[in-house]
Amino acid sequence: MNTTAIRSRGRSRGLSGATGDDATVTGPVRTDRARHERRLGLLLAAPSFLVMVAVTAYPLLYAVVLSLYRYRLTDPGGREFVGLRNYATVLSDPIWWGDVVTTTVITAVSVAVELVLGFAFAWVMYKVLRGRSLVRTGILIPYGIVTVVSAFVWRYAFQLDSGFINQWFGLGDFNWFGGRWSSLFVITLSEIWKTTPFISLLLLAGLVQVPHELLEAATVDGATARQRLQKVILPNMKAAIMVALLFRTLDAWRIFDNPFVMTGGANDTETLSFLAYRQNVSLVNLGAGSAVSVLLFLTVVLIAFVFIKGFRTNLGQMKGQR
Amino acid sequence: MTLRRRVARGWLALALGAAGLAACGGDDDGAPTLVWYTNPDNGGQATLARQCSDASGGAFRITTQVLPNEADAQREQLVRRLAAKDTSIDLMSLDPPFVAEFANAGYLRPITDAADVAAFTDGVLEAPLQTASWDGQLVAPPFWANTQLLWFRRSVAEAAGVDPTAEDVTWAELIDAAASEGKRFGVQGRRYEGYMVWINALVSSAGGAIVEDPGAGAEATPALDSPAGRAAAQVVADLARSSAAPADLTTAGEEEARSTFQGDQGAFMVNWPYVYAAAQASVASGAITQETFEDIGWARYPRVDARLESAPPLGGINLAIGSFTDHPDEALAALRCLLTVEAGTQYMLESGNPAARAAVYDDPAVREAFPMADLIRDSIAAAAPRPLTPYYGDVSQSVQRSWHPARDVDPLRTPADTASFMRQVLAGERLL
Amino acid sequence: MDGRRTSNWWSLWGALVLLWALFPLAWMVSLSFKDPATLRSGDPGFLPSTWTWENYRTVFDNSLFTAALRNSFGIALIATALSVVVAMFAAYAIARLDFPGKNVLLSLALAIAMFPQAALVGPLFDMWRGLGIYDTWIGLILPYLTFALPLSIWTMSAFFRQIPWEMEQAAQVDGATAWQAFRKVIVPLAAPGVFTTAILTFFFCWNEFLLASSLTSTDSARTVPAALSFFTGASQFESPVTAVMAASVVVTIPVVILVLLFQRRIVAGLTAGAVKG
Repeated sequence: MNTTAIRSRGRSRGLSGATGDDATVTGPVRTDRARHERRLGLLLAAPSFLVMVAVTAYPLLYAVVLSLYRYRLTDPGGREFVGLRNYATVLSDPIWWGDVVTTTVITAVSVAVELVLGFAFAWVMYKVLRGRSLVRTGILIPYGIVTVVSAFVWRYAFQLDSGFINQWFGLGDFNWFGGRWSSLFVITLSEIWKTTPFISLLLLAGLVQVPHELLEAATVDGATARQRLQKVILPNMKAAIMVALLFRTLDAWRIFDNPFVMTGGANDTETLSFLAYRQNVSLVNLGAGSAVSVLLFLTVVLIAFVFIKGFRTNLGQMKGQR
Repeated sequence: MTLRRRVARGWLALALGAAGLAACGGDDDGAPTLVWYTNPDNGGQATLARQCSDASGGAFRITTQVLPNEADAQREQLVRRLAAKDTSIDLMSLDPPFVAEFANAGYLRPITDAADVAAFTDGVLEAPLQTASWDGQLVAPPFWANTQLLWFRRSVAEAAGVDPTAEDVTWAELIDAAASEGKRFGVQGRRYEGYMVWINALVSSAGGAIVEDPGAGAEATPALDSPAGRAAAQVVADLARSSAAPADLTTAGEEEARSTFQGDQGAFMVNWPYVYAAAQASVASGAITQETFEDIGWARYPRVDARLESAPPLGGINLAIGSFTDHPDEALAALRCLLTVEAGTQYMLESGNPAARAAVYDDPAVREAFPMADLIRDSIAAAAPRPLTPYYGDVSQSVQRSWHPARDVDPLRTPADTASFMRQVLAGERLL
Repeated sequence: MDGRRTSNWWSLWGALVLLWALFPLAWMVSLSFKDPATLRSGDPGFLPSTWTWENYRTVFDNSLFTAALRNSFGIALIATALSVVVAMFAAYAIARLDFPGKNVLLSLALAIAMFPQAALVGPLFDMWRGLGIYDTWIGLILPYLTFALPLSIWTMSAFFRQIPWEMEQAAQVDGATAWQAFRKVIVPLAAPGVFTTAILTFFFCWNEFLLASSLTSTDSARTVPAALSFFTGASQFESPVTAVMAASVVVTIPVVILVLLFQRRIVAGLTAGAVKG
């Protein structure tokens, strides 16, 4: 498999020759090559750095400032400094804590199911001989599909008047979106369908790196399939599993599209991102909304911290994407 | 234009240019283009925009920008643009409950000329007229008005021995009638503005109000904790727990209610008059039979208390001029063209949306297309607007949140809980 | 033979995985061909009772949708191009150069990969309206570019590390000019990584909904995911289930085409940099 593994991130080859980079390097540099390399490195990295800081760090600081005010766009005259009162309001509000619970449930269930299912899919893709690329192609489609589309597709499948699920499973006129847990079930299902491919491909990448000799040796030693899984395969995949787990957890924690499209947050299915959206965008209540934003950011920092401390995973060894 | 803004614009032009997508040029004829933000309809507003552009003799052109489907989302889009002091909003179609919030924030340009005020308000039915002003100034004259009627299946009503057209027919009687026949009563019970429409009509029909002194804004007094509030909650709870409750009660909007009503289990429904034309279309497409269509009857919105006249819901659209427009005179001229009796008549016939002026209902073509024209007119005139408060969003959402799902509504507790929740929300002590 | 039987078993499992992945797609296509008039009354099955192209005509007649499609393509392509170019510099620096702040850049990229975008909608909206780029292409391109950068930097630096840069020197020894060496040797080696990164970035921009619905309000910048909730039926109350599905099919087509053409590259890109050992 075409997996590009990184062994040591920090190692740099350095410029291989004075004229190796004619587009950017001019003049004799052999004497102070290291200094020149530093300058070039900074120059090349600067645009990325600046853009990322300008579009995330700066607005975040701005949110911190806004969160100290009572400020609603439709009532500009009522703007006043209130200190930390917005935080007190948010943190003492049952809506915030209800959304924390909802988000936690969706995250925990979807990530757990995705890990198991993703591993099963990875195993199938690893083992299947005929049509392997077909399976891989097929599984990429949920990965690439627009999340809002996935939400609509699943919603209409379960919705009373347009769906086929109730008819197929003889559920009569059970209203899936009429209660909290059945709504969360459909929301989580859509999330799982859409994001399991990412996990399974990451796990597959880990799986192909499990040394063949070890597996064969274990088989020769009479290890059962279960023992091989527990003693050989999983330990050798630990890093891949950690990467998948961390990124999917933080990704699931941001869930917004699915509840927005499916329930609009009714029946206690609102998530934290949804709450931030509603305060800031629907109610244009930028004061309390910014407090929600800052707190949402802090929850993410907290989760990342727990992961990194708890699993002692080297940050530099991983990457992830949606 | 600030420097920052100019720099940003420059960036935009650069990005567009880089992609080879030159921004489309402005007008060549010099006539200002007015942008009219419209709620979605079947194209009736776009037609009027075209006609009024032509009629202006080149003084202006009107283009339309469509807003989202749901009232909350329409407000959201407009607020965001207006908060950005966007000069591109010349005209807007505004749901009446949002007029107060927009006017209070200074987003709407008042109409002060006495002749215009008279032209835009004479002959307009009373309830919609109430929603047109803020602080004693006309800010958003009604373009069309809407109301809900009670729709019933003649066969079911007959079998149950109830007369929905009787003046004093109540929700309780109708719910019992539907339940006794094993049929359903369609309402709007999803957590959205339509649910608020229903609750407001119930509270008003019971002789109460959701908010006292709504004009006081954040200091207004929630009034749901009252006999009227409890009577309204009783109706919601009764229906939700009755066998007449549709399976999708807690997720039903207008269309789901119509779907239940047109189906085998339909008995009653409260809904806007569009359902009549929609039922006709259903016959044409073969979804329902002509027989079913003829089985559909209509009556005034039912009462909560048999002794009190009902207060049907008020809907519709008001037209307003954006405060930040570069073309206030042209926008006003456009209103003079859009708000005539003729325009109202044409719009009602083309889009099926009822007019705000009484005179339209005397038009023979309207009477033919809407056999219930008189009923619609009277229902609009007697309708109860939702609270006219600059904090309408907070008021409405705190009600929706506390009353959803309908099956959990407790007539003894819910109205009181809503009132205290709303008070905290208005004071900024609770999130919504 | 036993191996043959096992292989067949795995093929069956593979088919099941395929079914899981593609079944909702089939439902989407099926629903998009249903007649909207009969949908609510008596057509609740999986397949349409009568097939119709009406929904596709509806969405393509709808200027809301066609404008959104144009915006989606324009914004996603520009954001992808910019992001890949900017990230290419950074990835090159990370893969080949020694410079202070390398770890800071990598950590920042990682932090942004995990950043909850919802925390930014309020301040970004307020800043954008101040700058006058609210509801413009650039107003969406900027955050898309930003949030795509971590992915692009990580993916490309992983690819770049694998390039045998010594070959460039070898070519020069063989008499090629520096530019020729770069163009003939390095560009072909780097291109697959850059291209793969571009596909993944495009998927991200194509998919994005939260910012698209917060930072736009008209046809001038609204993308398809945000426009789907604006659809309406014959009256403002009628919900356009089948039209939404037709539009969904349309926005899924580019995804399917990219996946079919570049399946191998996407998998390589997704797992690039996955950990060894």
